[in-house]
Order: sequence, then structure tokens, then C-alpha cells
Amino acid sequence: MTTLTADQAQSHWWQSRVMRRFRSHRLALLGLCMISLLTLACVIGPYLLPYDSLYIDLRARFAPPFSGDHYLGTDPLGRDVAARLLMAGRISLLVGFSAMILATMVGTVVGVIAGYRGGWISAVLMRIVDGFLSYPSIFLLLALAAVLKPSPMMITVIIAVTGWMEVARIVEAEVRSLKEREFVLAGRMLGLSRMHIMFREILPNVTGPIIVAATLTVARAILLEAYISFLGFGIQPPLPSWGNMLNGAQQYLASAPWLAIIPGIAITIAVSSFNFIGDGLRDALDVRNDTV
Amino acid sequence: MTKFSKTSAGFSRRNALRVLGAGGAAGLFAPHLLGKPAYAQTPPATPTGRVIVGLSQEPTVFNPLMPHIEVDDGVNFSLFDALFRIDPEGNIVPNLATEVPSQENGGISEDGLEWRVKLREDVRWHDGEPFTAEDVKFTLELILNPDFRAWRTAGHALLRDITVVSPTEITWRMEEVFSPYMSFLTETFIVPEHILGNAPDVNNAAFNQAPIGTGAFKWGQRLAGDRLELMANTEYFGEGPYVEQLIYKYIPDMTVLYTQFKSGDIDLVGQSYITPDNYAEASTLPDRDVILVPKGSVESIYLNMEKPQFQDPAVRKALYLAIDRAAIIDALNYGVPSPTETFMPPQSYYYNPDLPAHEFNLETARQILDDAGWVPGAGGIREKDGVRLSFANSTTSGAHLREQAQQFLQQTFAEIGVEMKIENLPPAVMWGEFWGMSQFDSAMVGITYLIGADPDVTNRFHSKAITAQGGNGSNNAQYSNPEVDALLEEGSRTFDPEARREIYFRVQEIIREDLPFLPLYAYTQVHGRKAGIEGYIPNTNTRTESWHAAGWYWS
Amino acid sequence: MPAFLLNRFMQSAVLLVIVSIIGFTVLNLIPGGPMSQYALDPGMTQEDMNRLAEQLGLNRPIWVQYLEWVWRLLHGDWGTSFRDGAPVLTVISRHIFATLLLMGSSTVIAIAVGTWIGIRGATHRYSIFDYTATVGAMIALSIPTFWFGLVGIYVFSLQLGWLPAGNMYTIGDGSVLNYLHHLIMPSVVLALVHIAIWSRYMRTATLDVISQEFVKTARAKGVSERRVLMKHVVGNALLPMITLAGVQLPAILTGALVTETVFTWPGMGRLFLDSLGYSDYPVVMGLLMFSAVLTIAGNLIADIVVALVDPRIRLA
Repeated sequence: MTTLTADQAQSHWWQSRVMRRFRSHRLALLGLCMISLLTLACVIGPYLLPYDSLYIDLRARFAPPFSGDHYLGTDPLGRDVAARLLMAGRISLLVGFSAMILATMVGTVVGVIAGYRGGWISAVLMRIVDGFLSYPSIFLLLALAAVLKPSPMMITVIIAVTGWMEVARIVEAEVRSLKEREFVLAGRMLGLSRMHIMFREILPNVTGPIIVAATLTVARAILLEAYISFLGFGIQPPLPSWGNMLNGAQQYLASAPWLAIIPGIAITIAVSSFNFIGDGLRDALDVRNDTV
Repeated sequence: MTKFSKTSAGFSRRNALRVLGAGGAAGLFAPHLLGKPAYAQTPPATPTGRVIVGLSQEPTVFNPLMPHIEVDDGVNFSLFDALFRIDPEGNIVPNLATEVPSQENGGISEDGLEWRVKLREDVRWHDGEPFTAEDVKFTLELILNPDFRAWRTAGHALLRDITVVSPTEITWRMEEVFSPYMSFLTETFIVPEHILGNAPDVNNAAFNQAPIGTGAFKWGQRLAGDRLELMANTEYFGEGPYVEQLIYKYIPDMTVLYTQFKSGDIDLVGQSYITPDNYAEASTLPDRDVILVPKGSVESIYLNMEKPQFQDPAVRKALYLAIDRAAIIDALNYGVPSPTETFMPPQSYYYNPDLPAHEFNLETARQILDDAGWVPGAGGIREKDGVRLSFANSTTSGAHLREQAQQFLQQTFAEIGVEMKIENLPPAVMWGEFWGMSQFDSAMVGITYLIGADPDVTNRFHSKAITAQGGNGSNNAQYSNPEVDALLEEGSRTFDPEARREIYFRVQEIIREDLPFLPLYAYTQVHGRKAGIEGYIPNTNTRTESWHAAGWYWS
Repeated sequence: MPAFLLNRFMQSAVLLVIVSIIGFTVLNLIPGGPMSQYALDPGMTQEDMNRLAEQLGLNRPIWVQYLEWVWRLLHGDWGTSFRDGAPVLTVISRHIFATLLLMGSSTVIAIAVGTWIGIRGATHRYSIFDYTATVGAMIALSIPTFWFGLVGIYVFSLQLGWLPAGNMYTIGDGSVLNYLHHLIMPSVVLALVHIAIWSRYMRTATLDVISQEFVKTARAKGVSERRVLMKHVVGNALLPMITLAGVQLPAILTGALVTETVFTWPGMGRLFLDSLGYSDYPVVMGLLMFSAVLTIAGNLIADIVVALVDPRIRLA
């Protein structure tokens, strides 16, 4: 890693490093704080609020936020938006997170194998990736949602199916450029098994890009869930999700804008938290930037 | 003719139907001045100005005989004419015909089988060719041509021996007596033989993309995905047109559509594009006329009668009692639609107003279920003989007003120990075999039971109309009642409105008792237009606000 | 090189066939069909719907339908839209302009702004600017596009009344200004995510290049900072961007889809959604193949360019 020492020699390394650690930690911490608080709120919040997320009270419909007992107002059925928001958070976070893990795992395995093995294996795997990428994801989402009954688990799988390819591409490119490096050649000469080289030697060096890709994937997963639920093909009512809370909100944009604004903010907070954390981890883990 | 003696001016709307028997005399004098309001100003001498109609679905089918949706109907009414038209009061009046045939005027034989229709001689196609009886014959035969992708064939399939007597007269024989056919003909637009007769493949003829009709408006141009422009047909034989240009603007989102109506980008909105929640605001808009228009369809929880959960009448009765209909109408739909107990539109001559009124009473509902032996089981859900009172309700995904009603019902049904799950599907899936072959448990659906204004509902309630059991029709509830079958058969053989009225009153009584569907409300649409548009008359008996665009003009 | 090209072309052709088979199958797996939209018409019967399906040849086995579709395609016939009655290519071409306009304007915005932010962020690493840009990009990536569009409509159309809530132009006013007025909100909304992605990748790419030996050599030789930046950094940093651009090609359909829905833009994204909703198979297949060809070509071009420019990467 000679280039890196050179890099540090040139810049005010102590300054930049402190700055960077400070910055990255602060942002990552902020993200961690936000997502922890949000998760905590989603887990215990519903027990603390006086209203049930499913309880319908038509006399109380369209109560605006910060007035009366309903902190965030009520929806067109008079359900407490705060209670629904938190229950929805459980579903949306779970779906988004699980889909990300599923997609990242599949993408990583495919990417490492394709990148390291090369030849026809790589050709086949990468053409499969290309194949999946060449369907507009909304086609796969809507087509699959129409064929399968949309339970939260199905939605997770559907989102993962449409989201693993970019991880695979990024990992494949990284692995392909790493496989001629000295440490890999050394490993080969030492007679290490292919599996060992691929997943023990090379994989750790690709963690950074994977995490960057994973942050994009978790963002994508939560956003995709929101989008298909917004269209009405995702999580089915009465189960709330951030996306299906937005379903129909466009209609009340003029009269009850909070119905559209509040879930959107929740989505943005959750997704940016993951992005902040990912960014912090990236700075901390990225070999090229951090290792001395 | 004695029955017409009862006709008195005080009952104009109901009378109107009897005029059908009287040979459409009114129509003879003023075929295109239908229901013209007295206060209307004088329309301009030459077509001037432009009306932009907003649609949230795109008209794409311009051969009026091919499968199409409501928005295409609006365009068809402007471009084409049918033999007859149906006016807002439910009268069938002449359009391309000179009179409405009936048994009284000899247009229909005493046995109801021989029909004779006389046609106008002053009608020309948009390309200048004269319209003749050959065009009518061609149209009717085309519908039955097995190679042609015709829309619906019900009624037409009974036609035999279609004969052109003269350029202005055509006759045919019906295989069996079928009085509703008159209504069917009001939606059967006549297409030009001299163009389509020579087309090598009618399904893909150039005509289908640039139609030539006889209507008040001529084809202008189409900007697909955006708008359709029609031009005034100054040679039109009937009233109007008064506007030079008629534009159908496609705006796929109803919120945006409404916003553009507010901002004045579009002049006129029909269908159900202004949603009930916007009605209150819309009616206060300056320089806009916003009116409520009753619609021929009924929203209901539609039950699949073959499912074990719904076979016990007690269950259907209890479920109906557990529906807080007032809340659904007043709160969720802002009081716009109206309550109903029947499939018949409230404004119809055949509407039975004396059906037992719905009552929301959870206590009675529970009592009925208890008495019928449905006892609470696991999770508080009632069961009897191994059947749990649990069922799914489906509708088109993303229809949020329906989803609200579903969730609301779910809560009240739970209170009487009934579980309703919500399983909504994309439109192409929901209304495919799932619906047609009765694979659903229950559906939330708005159905127009009548064709035109004819009270015949054989297609919806006769046991021979159950497709899932090998029948032909749309009795997707799989409803079967021999008495209703017999009444429906009698009704479709009867021409006399009074006699039919009795028959269909009884049909409504039985169906109200049997509850194959739980009526929620009769649809009411909110129509809006700029204040200066005169001559706008909504018509419940058609599917479109543009059924008579010929009469529109700017004051 | 020719062998490589031939190889990749063959692979791409095979891929297209597989993509079309899977697309066709998935589409036909969806229950219901194009006739469903008429199911609720008064007087419509299942028998009529079956007759129509029969006339359209929809009752035949999937493989027969597929082979027929391929056969016609080989003769240049993409089929006829069920909904529209017009040839598929005509239907698509009617919508392509709107999408290209929207994509074009948002891509110009995204590349210009994204590249600038990315490079400036990398050269002024850890400055307030960089910090704000990074955080801003991450937040921008976290906002659901359709929601951002809704908020935009709420603020700029409903509250302020500055911008139109949708559509490509006002009827009767086809002036360029009118188009631009309608173009502002959708293209900015659509560009937002792309700015974020471009600027992030651009920043990383620039940083990678800056740390390379030859840049340091150039600097050591006394080449001006600006020149180094323009000649070496930008040139080299743009290389990985080509790969990104290749991957992003299908976004012409998907990216625009959301924006087109919210802003009622008469483009291909909306055509796709509508056609899928109505099960208009020929149009959906046409758009799928369109998107597949774009993606595969994009990937192919990206691979070739990268291979040509960067000799270190061996061609597979």
C-alpha cells in the first residue's frame, strides 16, 4: 500500500485524519442514534401511545397534528397517525433490512465467484446479472406482486430479487481487479483452496465497496417497499407500512397534507440513517483510505 | 292504448318510458332538443370556441363496435350515431331512425319477433357519402362476424334475416322475444359500410385509428397519451354542434385532473373524476358549475353464494346488519352517494321504493348468528359445522376509498365475531377469471346492472348466467332462485312498461330478501364545468358525460 | 479484440432471447388478462370475453404464442397493442419524445451538477462544502422520489402556484417556454437522485485518481493544479463513470416511471405502467425488449470502452 503512505505524506495527515474520524464518527453516530431511536420508538412506542394503530374512529377523522390527543393527527379513518407510523416502521424497517441482507448476500456470493473464477462461469453469472438488470425493476416488482400473494415476507423476497444485481456487479469488478494482486498470488502459491482465497483472502478486501453498495441497497429496499405499497401492490391494509400510509395521501394533499408529509419524513430519516452509518463504516473500513 | 291515458304531465320522468310505446312521438319533432333547459341562451349560429373535457383514462378504441371502456364511449357518442338514443329521462328517442318501433305503431309485430326500423334520409357520413340501411345491416352483421373482435354480442345474437327494404328501411326477425334489445341498440353505433366493407382486416383497419362517422363531430387528430381533438361537423343533421373544437384531454391522475379543473386548464369534468371529498370545495369554486349526477351503478359487498360461509341466509342478513352504512356514505364518501336497497338505480321507473330499509344493529346481528347456531370459536370467530365465519374481501388494489371502507367494515364485522381479510389485486388479475369464474370469497365492487335504462337483469341474476357453472352471463355471485329465473324470463318477453314494472318490483323484493350482495350505496358522480358552458345535460342512462356534446356551447 | 467482440455479441444475443422468454412467461403467469378491463361493462359476459381471447389467440399454449411473437419480430412486426389497436412501435414512438425530453433535461442537470459537486468535494476534501454535499447527497438518496414530487406539487403548485402540477404543456400553448415551465419540477425531482449518485461516485473516482502515482508525478513536475485536475483527474475519474452510465441506462424506463406517474408526464414509463395494468402484452414486451437492448448495449459499450482505455483489465 505504498501509494497511501505517499498520500499521507503529502497532506496534513494528522489534521485530515482527525477531521475525518471526527466527521465520520459524528455522522455515523448521528445515523446510529437516529435509527436506534426510530427502531426503539417503533418497538416500544405502540405500547406507550393511548391509541391502537388499527382502531377506527370516524368521528375523529382528519384531526390535524399537534392538536388534541393525537400528536400527529389522524388519518381518513380517524386512526392515530403516530400509532400507525410506529407500527408501520416495524414493518417497513424489517422488510427493508431483511431484503437488504438477502440481496447483499446473494450479490456478494455471485460477485465474488464471477470475479475470481472468470471464464465461462463469470460470463454466465454476469449475463444473468445483466439479464436481471435489463428488466425494469418495477416490471419484476409488479409482475411478481401480481403472481404471489403480497405478504410482508413475499414483499421482502420480491425486493431482494430486484436488488441484488448491483452489489454483484460492484463486487465482481473489485474482485477482478484484486485477483492478480500479490497477496492473492501468494495465497495460491501457498496452496490455499479456492473457497479460502475467495472468501477469506479477497472478500475482506471488498468489504468497503460491499458496505457502500449495501447502504444503497437498504435505501433502495425501503424506498421500493414504499413505492409498491404506495401503488397499492405492496403491504396490504390494515397492516400499516410507510408506503401504504402514503397510498391515497396524494388525494388529500390540499386538505390534509400531513398524511403525505409525515410518512415521507419517516422514510427519509430511516433511509438517511442507514446511509450515514454506511458512510461512517466505509470511512472506517476502507482499506485504501484508512489502513496505515 | 288505454294505458297511456294514465299519463299525466305531473309524472313526466316516469311517463317518459311509456312514450317508448307511443312511438317516440316527441322525438319526431325534436330529436336533438332532449331535455333542453328553458333558461338556456341561444347557441351561436356557427360553431365557435373549444371545450376541453378532462379524462383520467385515455380513449384508445375508435371503432365503436370493438371492446372499449367508458371514455371511449364519450368519443363514440360525438363521432357516431346509433339508431336510437336514450335521453336523461330514460326515453328512447330516434337518432338515425325516424321513429322508435313499437307494437302500437307496427314497428314491432304483435308477437314481438318482427322489427321494422325506418331511417332518416338526410344523413351523410363525414366523407360525404350518404348513410343508408345498408350501413345498418353491415353494422349488425359485423357484430356477429366470428372473425371480428366485437364488444358484446348479447341481444345481437338473436337477430335473423336482416333485410334492407329500401335505403331508409330495414327489417329483421328475432330468434326469441327480447324486449331489452331496444336499449342495446341505443349503444350500437352504426359504422360505414363503404369504408369497412372493403377493409381486408376489419380488426386492424385504418378506420380504427381515424374513424368516419355521422356524428356531430369529425375526427381531428390524436396525440396519443395526451389528447384527442374533434372538429365540428357543420353538416350534421341534428342539433348542433355549437363548439368548433372538442378536446378530450387525458390526465391519468385524478388529483391532478381536479387541480387542472380548478386552475381552468380543462373546461369540463365528468365520470367520477371529481372525488366525493373534493365535492364541498368544488361547489364553492368561483365561475364553476358543479353538480351531483346520479349514476346507474351500485356499490356493494358482493358475495360468492357458493362459498360455505355465505350459504346460510342468516349470515348474509347478519353481515348486512353489521354494516354502518351511514358512516360509509356520510363520512367516507362525504354524503355524496345515496343509500339504496336494490340493484335498480333510484332514478329508474322500475325502482322499487318500498323495500325494507337497512338498519345498522350489531345486537340484532349477533342475535341472528347466535340463533342460527354460529357460535364463537378460536379467536372469537364464529363457526358452525366446521365452517369458520372468516372470508376474504377483494377489490382493485390502490383504490383507496374502497380500501378505507374495507378496513372500516373489517372492524365492525370483527365485533360480531366475523373475520374479513383484505386481499386486493391488480385490476387485470382482479377482474380476470378470479371474478369471471367466481373464485373470490367476496368482492367490493360497483356494478351497473342495467344496459341503458332497460330493467332486464337476466345477465346478472338468472341461474343460467353463472359462468362458473357452465352458464353464460355475469352472475358471478352464483345466485340462484327459481322464482327470480321465472320472473326474469317473463320480463324479457314483455314490452309493456307497466307489466314489466310489476315483474321487476317483485324481483327486487326477492333479491333484497336473499341478499346475494350487500348494497352499500348508489353511485353519485360529481360533474363540473366552467360557468359559461351551456347545454350541458348529464344522462344517467349512458356511461359518459359527453353523450350529447353536440348541444354544448359557450354563452 | 474481434474475438472478444464476437463472443460478447453472441452472449448478448443469447441473453436477449432468454430475457424475452422469461419476460413472456412471467407476463403470462399473471392471472387475468387484457380482457379483464371489460369484465364490468354492462351486458358483458364471460363468454364474450372468452371469444375475444380466442380471437386474439390468447388461449393457445404460451410457447406457441411466444414462437409466433418471435416469428413476427423477425419479420419486423412487433405486434399490435390490445388497448390501442395500433402497432406496438407506433405506440412506443408516440411516447418516446416525452421521456427523452424529461430524461435529457434531468440527465444534463444531474451530470453537470453532480460532476461539479463530486470534483469540488474531492479536491476540497473535508471542507464545509464537501461535508454538506456528502450529507446532502445521502439525504437526497433517502427521499422517495414520488414523495418528493408530492411535496413539490404541494409547495410549488398548491401553495405558491408557481409551477404546474403536471403535464408536458398547456393545451393550445405549444411554445418552448411553456414546455420549459412544465419541465422544471419533474426534471429537478428526477435529477435529484441522479445528482446524488453522480456526485458520490464522482467524488470517489476523483479521490482514487488523485492518489495515483501519475497525478503525483504530474504535480511534482510542476503542472498547474487546474491542469492536473482537468487533464488527468477528470479524464480518469470519468472512466468508472462510463460503467455507471451503462448500468444506469435502463433507468430511462424505471427512473422516469415514478416521476412520470406523479407528474402525469405522457412518456414511456407511464405507458409501461398502464400497459402492465391492462395486461397489454405486446406493448409490455416491446418496452421490455427496448429496455433490455438498451441495458445490454449499455453494458457492452461500457465494457468495451473500459477495456480499450484501461489495458490493465483483461478482456474476458
